[in-house]
Amino acid sequence: MSGTGPRENVFATRMALTNTKLRLKGAQTGHSLLAKKRDALTTRFRAILKKVDEAKRKMGRVMQLASFSMAEVTYATGDISYLVQEQAKLATFRVKAKQENVSGVVLPAFEVDRVSGSDFNLTGLGRGGQQVLRAKEVYAKAIETLVELASLQTAFTILDEVIRATNRRVNAIEYVVIPRLDNTIKYIISELDEMDREEFFRLKKVQGKKKRDAASNAEQAALKVTEEPLETYDDEPDGSADLLSSKDQDVIF
Amino acid sequence: MATNVSFKDRKLIAVIGDEDSITGLLLAGVGHINEHQKKNFLVVDTKTQISTIESTFQEFTERKDIAILLINQHIAEKIRPSVDKYQQAFPALLEIPSKDHPYDPSKDSVLKRVQKLFGE
Amino acid sequence: MEGLFFNVNSGFLEGIVRGYKAGILSQSQYASLTQCDTLEDFRTQLSATDYGNFLANEPSPLSTATIADKATQILVDQFNYIRTNAVEPLSKFLDYITYGYMIDNVVLLITGTLHERDTHELLERCHPLGVFDTMPALCVATNVEELYQGVLVETPLAPYFRDCLSASDLDDLNIEIIRNTVYKAYLEDFYRFSTTLGSPTSDVMQSILFFEADRRTINITINSFDTELSKEQRSKLFPAIGRLFPEGNNALARADEIEDVRQVCDKISEYRSFFDGGSGFGQSNGDYQDAGESNIAARLEDRFFHTEVHLNKEAFLQQFQYGVFYSYMKLKEQEIRNLTWIAECIAQDARDRMQDFIPIF
Repeated sequence: MSGTGPRENVFATRMALTNTKLRLKGAQTGHSLLAKKRDALTTRFRAILKKVDEAKRKMGRVMQLASFSMAEVTYATGDISYLVQEQAKLATFRVKAKQENVSGVVLPAFEVDRVSGSDFNLTGLGRGGQQVLRAKEVYAKAIETLVELASLQTAFTILDEVIRATNRRVNAIEYVVIPRLDNTIKYIISELDEMDREEFFRLKKVQGKKKRDAASNAEQAALKVTEEPLETYDDEPDGSADLLSSKDQDVIF
Repeated sequence: MATNVSFKDRKLIAVIGDEDSITGLLLAGVGHINEHQKKNFLVVDTKTQISTIESTFQEFTERKDIAILLINQHIAEKIRPSVDKYQQAFPALLEIPSKDHPYDPSKDSVLKRVQKLFGE
Repeated sequence: MEGLFFNVNSGFLEGIVRGYKAGILSQSQYASLTQCDTLEDFRTQLSATDYGNFLANEPSPLSTATIADKATQILVDQFNYIRTNAVEPLSKFLDYITYGYMIDNVVLLITGTLHERDTHELLERCHPLGVFDTMPALCVATNVEELYQGVLVETPLAPYFRDCLSASDLDDLNIEIIRNTVYKAYLEDFYRFSTTLGSPTSDVMQSILFFEADRRTINITINSFDTELSKEQRSKLFPAIGRLFPEGNNALARADEIEDVRQVCDKISEYRSFFDGGSGFGQSNGDYQDAGESNIAARLEDRFFHTEVHLNKEAFLQQFQYGVFYSYMKLKEQEIRNLTWIAECIAQDARDRMQDFIPIF
């Protein structure tokens, strides 16, 4: 019997069966599509995961180099931090976001967007300008690495979320929707079978009754037929017919 | 996803860090002071209150023009619960090493997740 | 004549300075410092030198900035001791030494005021040697005009500012240009003053100040390539003293690339080697592949430091002159730079670059 699992509340009709079958088919297609998407995303995710890991470690080295160049600046120029902080006005080092589409998921990727600014061009004019210049370059490179890493990480975060959602959907379809539709179909089929059997039985009954009715009708008709000729023609065949049709009380078989 | 909508406007890199990191990053040109005299960087020294860091962190993560938020790892360590809780894609949160504190991958909130995923 | 009466007023202090000079770290002390693995080791090693226990009360972990601050503090204490015991004209001479730091401080305050920062925080950042009594008065200024008046009235730097800048300049000009303009005036004035002191002070100071002036000239030239600083403005920043002055300065004012600078310096035999290629000292590290011009420029700074140390050491060879005070300050500054450098290298684990400091003795 199909009543073991959850099923949809439908009337067991052929129409419902066709509909449900169609839906099952849809669910299966959806499932395979989502599963494909998940696989694609996961592949991408794994790749990114690896890159994130690498980039994070690379960042460690790059930043070390950068802060060392800062040490060189301090060595040659002295403490410039305050001046630099005060002179910052407009960002010349910005990022631009562009999109990348992975299986329907929009992943942002940051791109470095540098406008040539002259904010600190004159810092260290009298002393250590070269070091400042170099620190600028080293830091700019470091930030490029950071931006790259940020793109990866954002992709990572978004993909992570999307994959979770996709997984949820795949699982939902696989473990909830499809079994449910399956159950519904089984239920409908079994109900329909049951109805068939009932119908058959009913028909049989009807047929039997009809037969019975027909038989009794025929008997009556026959009786009428025999009675009437008896009245009109009281013949020999009547006697034979009479023998067949009416029971002789004296005959014991 | 809802977060994707506004990322076109995000152009800035914000920093919470110690003096040396900030100086270097500003030299490269990330510094920005907007029309409300709001900076996109916060210098943290030994005297900076944790609550200040915390509120700046919140402010930067809520600002709509910041694409990437850099934070020194040792400072992130001070507000670790907030950092770990932060899961949004924008602005992207990056923990960077500082001069006196070399990078420790095991503390990074993102790498922790990476490791967890690899471990599974 | 000079030598005869020198000791009456300044003999004691010269003795003190020469004593201090003996405390400058030696080659072997540097060697042991570079062996340190952590800043804690570094602290222990330093306590065996003349620095003594200056870091003893600092909480761990030690930062390189703390080391530099504390070392500077020692230098400041020494200087103040000398300053309080000095009489004219040595006291005046010592004041001149502090003006250099004052310029930096005033510039810092100007920057802060222009950006409406909390100026009290700024005061903490000022170099202790450049602190003057009326400095806090500058902090009350709220606008540029007031500040300018304040600078003129309140600081010993007044003439430098009056001669080369107007109030409107403060607003428009890049702060670095202001700094260098004032510094140029200061160098020239210092030189003028040292000539009034007569030989041998003037001789010693001349070589040091000339070098300082030339160094600035060359640096400004090189650093202003590819910036918005026009050649005209550039030439205004050149001190009107030095061995390159005047022809060299004129040539440098027109220089467009480092090759031009090299040609100018070729005329002075001592400066010729600054632009030599070759690996030699300094940035022989593999991290920086950008050979050629920028490399020369980068190495230049180191060579300048080297020459500065050399000249300042020479100042100690002459007795009965004030140059030793100036030289001691400069040497000590270099030493602090060295210490900071080594400490940075230890903190950042960059052992391969650790030898790049400039040993003094």
